[in-house]
Amino acid sequence: MRILDPKFESARSEELEQLQLERLQALVVRLKRNVRRYRELLGDARIESLADLQRLPVTTPGDLADSFPYGMFALPLREVIRLHSAVGPEGRQLIIGHTQNDIKHWGRLVARQLVAAGVTANDVIQINLGNGSSGSFSGYTLGAQTVEASVIAEDPVHVDYQLAMLQNYRPTVLVTTPTNAREIAALLDQRRIDPQSLHLRTVLLSRPVSGLERHALQGGLFVRAQCNFGIPAILDPGFCVQCQDGHFHVNEDEFLVEVSDGELLVTTLAREATPLLRYATRIACELRRGKCKCGRTTAMLVPGKRLDKQMLVHEMPVYEEQVREVLAHTSAANHPTQIEITERRVIVRLAVSDRIFDDLVRTLETVRLEVESEFLERLGIEAVVRLVSTHDARGGHDNGGPAA
Amino acid sequence: MLLQVKNLRCGYGSLEIVKGISLHVAAGEIVTLLGANGAGKTSLLRAISGLLPVWSGEIRINARSVVGQPAWNRVHDAMVMVPEGRQLFSDLTVWENLLLGGYHNPDRRAVMEKVFQRFPRLRERSRQSAGTLSGGEQQMLALGRALAARPRFMLLDEPSLGLAPLLVREVFAVIRQLKDDGVTIFLVEQNAVAALEIADRAYVMETGEIIMEGEAADLIQNPEVRRAYLGKGYKEIWE
Repeated sequence: MRILDPKFESARSEELEQLQLERLQALVVRLKRNVRRYRELLGDARIESLADLQRLPVTTPGDLADSFPYGMFALPLREVIRLHSAVGPEGRQLIIGHTQNDIKHWGRLVARQLVAAGVTANDVIQINLGNGSSGSFSGYTLGAQTVEASVIAEDPVHVDYQLAMLQNYRPTVLVTTPTNAREIAALLDQRRIDPQSLHLRTVLLSRPVSGLERHALQGGLFVRAQCNFGIPAILDPGFCVQCQDGHFHVNEDEFLVEVSDGELLVTTLAREATPLLRYATRIACELRRGKCKCGRTTAMLVPGKRLDKQMLVHEMPVYEEQVREVLAHTSAANHPTQIEITERRVIVRLAVSDRIFDDLVRTLETVRLEVESEFLERLGIEAVVRLVSTHDARGGHDNGGPAA
Repeated sequence: MLLQVKNLRCGYGSLEIVKGISLHVAAGEIVTLLGANGAGKTSLLRAISGLLPVWSGEIRINARSVVGQPAWNRVHDAMVMVPEGRQLFSDLTVWENLLLGGYHNPDRRAVMEKVFQRFPRLRERSRQSAGTLSGGEQQMLALGRALAARPRFMLLDEPSLGLAPLLVREVFAVIRQLKDDGVTIFLVEQNAVAALEIADRAYVMETGEIIMEGEAADLIQNPEVRRAYLGKGYKEIWE
């Protein structure tokens, strides 16, 4: 597959290090001038080599959340043309701004991934990323514009409509979540539709999956599947490029990556609106260096588990604190509950005594509907309420409500 | 990389002017360095040329360190500097100035013919003393004198300084032609608009430090560059 920017993606290490050093030095000067928090932390720090980065302070997701909304911006708001949010620690909101140049660069970086997946101007791209992924949708659209591919600007929630789009618009590329890709493959199987009757050639998955799952999806949809690895507070997609050999190559001309105590730290080298120094991603990671078979020379990243308590529910990042907050808005707050968070949904076990169960079925049904609708409306995720006896509810994630 | 500068520090007396700068110029590029008066642009250029001692840091031309080497040694690397204010020999004729430019060059007469082809006005004025030329003609002579050395790499310090807008356009057209002829150019300028229009990449320098690096097309769009260097109209965007 073609490499869009060989100047950067296949740069000689000496050239890349020079560029990174120049950009890091300029970044530190700009941060000291334009962002109060960094001015206080950096003092008269000077960068003479990339190794000096380790002496600089780490920016945590908490720092970013504390400065909500615009405290970490390096430019006045009127220079910012796009604002995207990400889920921060305990579900707190993070805001990332983009200038005109940031948006232009984002498009180019995503285009690198698209080109690595073989996407050209002749392709039609369907993007089904679901609720809460408008940032990623924008990123893929910008990338598609850069390679001049056509984007279908619709993102129906129901898999039936997604399949109808695949049949009607005849897209050649599908950008979607692994869960959604599985659902489409299952629907094809259930309806005995031959995947080859679609025109799909490539599926880009929004997050990494195991080799086994990737192969299963490739078979189920009769496509080539490639994955994205993004960090919403940094860039998602556009942070790295997965090559045909399955390696995630970091776009190192724009991001300086390091691993500290097993955690991936990222410094944005070229971002204008919200530059971040040593951002702690809360993701375990391993970095490998050396030339890849694909021809890229940039660092290869092996993403590991999350190091905080963020979970994915139907591909939506969720923290337990958010779940508790939603529950607090419902009358279930008055009952002892157990919470179980699965890949598909939140299960709320509501403890009721045998006596209450007999007497107040209608009330409890109201609580159940209320909880389910609040989760859908506030977090966009499915929740189910199960009624259990107080005896069964003992232990686990008790919400601390009064005992029934 | 034709020119590689790493953590360069230099100054005058105990006054540090260039405060740990890194930059590079790849072969075939036009790279411009923008900055206000007093930012340290000329000092940086003088250090690269070997005219100002380097306090610390590295300067490599064609991957070879040149720190501590005399300025004239740079000519062997086919590097030539066109200094700010032309610095012509004003009592000598145009022809003599060009001859001096190609002093080390055995086939300088053939090269000078090429210079005259590029700047026909200089041929017309070849017997005239350089001091009697107009500002634009003097700048052409300064460029011509540099070209007589058959450079592969040129450092240009404020070539548009003191020139009327029409002449600025002419000088920049010549610089663009030089690039097309394969000459690599490091251009120090205050005229940000003109410089960014012809450059591939740019650096912005403020008080001895680089505050920005990027593609020239990006820097034209950059709010800080627009505020600082692209005219009064942009002031109002900074609140």
